[in-house]
Amino acid sequence: MITAEGITRTFPGRGSMLHREPVRALRGVDFTIPDRGAVSFIGESGCGKTTLGRILCGFEEFDGGDLIIGGQSMKALPSRNRAPYFRRIQMIHQDPYSALNPTRTIGQILADPLELRARQTGASSNWAAERRAELLGLVGLDPDYVVPRYPHMLSGGMRQRVVIARALTVDPEVLVADEAVSMIDVSLRLGILQLLQDLRAKVGVSVLFITHDVATARYLGPDTTLYVIYRGMVIEHGSTDTIIQHPAHPYTQCLLSAIPVLRGIEQPGPDRLIPLAPLDERSQPPGCLFQPRCPQAADDCRAAVPALTTGGDFVQEHACLHPRTRSVVATASSGAG
Amino acid sequence: MSVTAALPPEQLQQAVTRSRKVSASRWRLLVRTPGRVISLVIVLFFTLMAIIGPYLYPKNLPINSNDIYAPPSTAHLLGTDFEGTDILALIITGARYVLLAAFIAALVTLVIGTAAGLFAGYYPRSAGRPIMRVTDFVLAIPGVPLLMVLATIWSFGSPQQMGLVLGITGWGGIARAVRAQTLSLRERGFVEAARGLGIPGRRVIATEILPNVAPYVSMNLMMQLTGFIYTEVGLFFLGVVKYSSSNWGVMLNNAVFQADALTSTRALSYLLSPLICILLLTISLVTLANVGDEIFNPRLRRI
Amino acid sequence: MTAPAKETETSTVAVRVRDLTVCFRTQEGSLPAVSRVNLDLVRGQITGLVGESGSGKSTLALTLLNAVPAPGQVAGSVEIDEVGDVLELRKGALRKVRGASIGYVFQASQNSLNPLKRVGKQLLDLGRSHGERDSRALVGRARALLDDMGLDATRVLSSYQHELSGGMRQRVGIVFALLLNAHVLILDEPTTALDMLSQAQVMEIIRRVHESRHLTTLIISHDMSVIGDLADRMAVMYAGRVVEEGPTASVLATPRHPYTRALLTAMPRITGDIAGAKALPGRPPDLTSIPRKGCVFEPRCPLATPDCLSEEPPDTYAGDHRFACFVTAGEAQ
Repeated sequence: MITAEGITRTFPGRGSMLHREPVRALRGVDFTIPDRGAVSFIGESGCGKTTLGRILCGFEEFDGGDLIIGGQSMKALPSRNRAPYFRRIQMIHQDPYSALNPTRTIGQILADPLELRARQTGASSNWAAERRAELLGLVGLDPDYVVPRYPHMLSGGMRQRVVIARALTVDPEVLVADEAVSMIDVSLRLGILQLLQDLRAKVGVSVLFITHDVATARYLGPDTTLYVIYRGMVIEHGSTDTIIQHPAHPYTQCLLSAIPVLRGIEQPGPDRLIPLAPLDERSQPPGCLFQPRCPQAADDCRAAVPALTTGGDFVQEHACLHPRTRSVVATASSGAG
Repeated sequence: MSVTAALPPEQLQQAVTRSRKVSASRWRLLVRTPGRVISLVIVLFFTLMAIIGPYLYPKNLPINSNDIYAPPSTAHLLGTDFEGTDILALIITGARYVLLAAFIAALVTLVIGTAAGLFAGYYPRSAGRPIMRVTDFVLAIPGVPLLMVLATIWSFGSPQQMGLVLGITGWGGIARAVRAQTLSLRERGFVEAARGLGIPGRRVIATEILPNVAPYVSMNLMMQLTGFIYTEVGLFFLGVVKYSSSNWGVMLNNAVFQADALTSTRALSYLLSPLICILLLTISLVTLANVGDEIFNPRLRRI
Repeated sequence: MTAPAKETETSTVAVRVRDLTVCFRTQEGSLPAVSRVNLDLVRGQITGLVGESGSGKSTLALTLLNAVPAPGQVAGSVEIDEVGDVLELRKGALRKVRGASIGYVFQASQNSLNPLKRVGKQLLDLGRSHGERDSRALVGRARALLDDMGLDATRVLSSYQHELSGGMRQRVGIVFALLLNAHVLILDEPTTALDMLSQAQVMEIIRRVHESRHLTTLIISHDMSVIGDLADRMAVMYAGRVVEEGPTASVLATPRHPYTRALLTAMPRITGDIAGAKALPGRPPDLTSIPRKGCVFEPRCPLATPDCLSEEPPDTYAGDHRFACFVTAGEAQ
């Protein structure tokens, strides 16, 4: 189980030497990833969700707050001792091509971590070859076909499966899928999503799914939770189905409103919302961060940053002073196929 | 021309005929075109000449004062020099110094430069800093003038000595370039993944980074070889480095300054023979340079 | 495939693609990336072309500009209103048509803008290369278009390409395509690599610009939901063939081709029963693995019969909606 408490991260920011504004990528994020669970982070680009994923894998430092992996606080450990903990969390990158070394075959790519493992546990290298075949089968690939090939000879979906198999070589607890299906053909996406779902059941791994496409977050299996992130803050959090059907925060409602509606088989939600302005990463509004773009902002929204609470019509936590029920998601038209 | 060039963009990465053996031999690439075959033959020929040449002739080549600057004939295929020594013999025995020195120099720059670049790039904040200080120092050393100064006190009797000096002063450029590539490769998904999987740094450098800088390094190696050949030939030609027995550079020096080969046709063969050998060798090396890219980059291999 | 049985009236069709085939030479012979495609772009409508990697949709889009890269061989005709057959044009005439009659918007992520020149300068260059001498008028038009896109014209004109976000670059690309008052607009993957909000914004802009300038628009995308929202008519491509085509609402509500149906069930959706979703087996074919004989979709088709191996199915028509399948052709309405 992974718990994050109040994670903050500020980047020094670009600009000239005289005028460099720091960018607050994360402003105190709390989340929990239960064992065998599935958690999704959604938000537009630049909201900090990718940074959060990278912090979780140990590729980025966090400036404040704490990350507790398997009961051990990372803040309490010096950097060089953290590696074994972060090894339990493996990243599935967005680009399945650059995630695999183009000069090595799939067999070699998978053999590396497995042989390392074999040496550490004293197992034979035969074990490594067998385990490799086992993992490839687990992710739905034919070992005989895939092992002698180079990455550029496989489709995007197959490469992504290889990346997942490689992540599984160290028996991780969490797979962080950062836009893992965005660069794959639509017809192949469901396969990867269902694979992640299967792995939760078969191998006991949990999945952190980072995406801007909310629809994909529905296909990770039962009991999935969703965190909506805006400019480094969690502004809504709860069960995926609840949030999609009954979003509380206007930003979530904007995100869901933006989903294209299929003519002939879907009707648009009647209360769809559009943000008033594009995202300005440098603005520092008083009070609620979303207020300058919010179609329903009121005066007290400028007074203080709303805290995450439940209440009113909504069972999920949300950070809005005036949440209102809106029907924004498309519904199936009558007479549809 | 080739399969990959003929395909539309979206097919480019998927176009491998499934019926062929997947892991084709990389070394077949060396003989893929006639140009490469000829270059390979030339390089092998001169290498053999360098290795075996001196054994074919006595240590001191015979001189014949009656037959100086003779034009090519059946007795002397390339003519004779100012002492009446057969030019062909001079060429064959003179190859060793030139090639050996260049080879040693290239080897030294390859090993030191690549290692320095890899470690400086992979550990930019720790080992990287001192390595780059040293690299900058080496880059600032003017190689040729230094050799010229050293030549006043050191006669560079053996090719190993010259090769070593050239190498030790010349690895800066390759270190810089390899470091830059390593820095950017370090951020690529597969390198990050390898680190995340707990693979130790040295192994990551060897298996993930090195194969990806290998194309650059191998091309650079060929170009460095030609550069070193020109440097040493130039040094001998200028007469800066005195050498007792002959090599191609010394031959050029003698031809131009003793036989006035640039103004008269008396010793044309004496001038042209080493010149043509040098040209053939360097052109062949350059032609083979881009094979390196294909050998190490599976995507470019047009199997 | 036979020519469409129903010829639409000349005046309503702005772009008429007939029997279009694009072949590439490979070690296994000359293989088609696009095979005998017939397609009409109705004037004033948005047509969507949906296909995955290897479907040939990008190649098809390039033929509309007669810009298929050299080793490709093109056969057939692409007739554009007021221009004639684009495939017959060469050099000077072709250059004039590109930009002035047909605007092409590249994918934003392909960074098709020159990184070393400011956007404004590139726009002027574009105009001048087409003989437009009046810089003031050009800039005025560019500003108006940029305003239409919701961009700060002054800022964008003086920016370099890397100073603009993905969504902004995409919109600038549309400005480039429309600067010379083209009447046909082709957008290649206009929303790929954009997040949801930027995507919705760009889609709205496309809709607005299409209506206000009375364009004929072709959108190419692998994302069926974008096409399903924007396009009036849609065509589905698979392995170089158009397997289904018709009014969007009709194609989505009553998909006739097994591939279209499979795509719809395999598409992650925000509504609907997730248990009904089924992944498509296999993978999209590349040039060398397209079946040479019979229906190209047969290897992955749940409805395949032995007949499907012998020849390619002809187009069947259900009103304005055509599709190419032996099996579903026999189904009742």
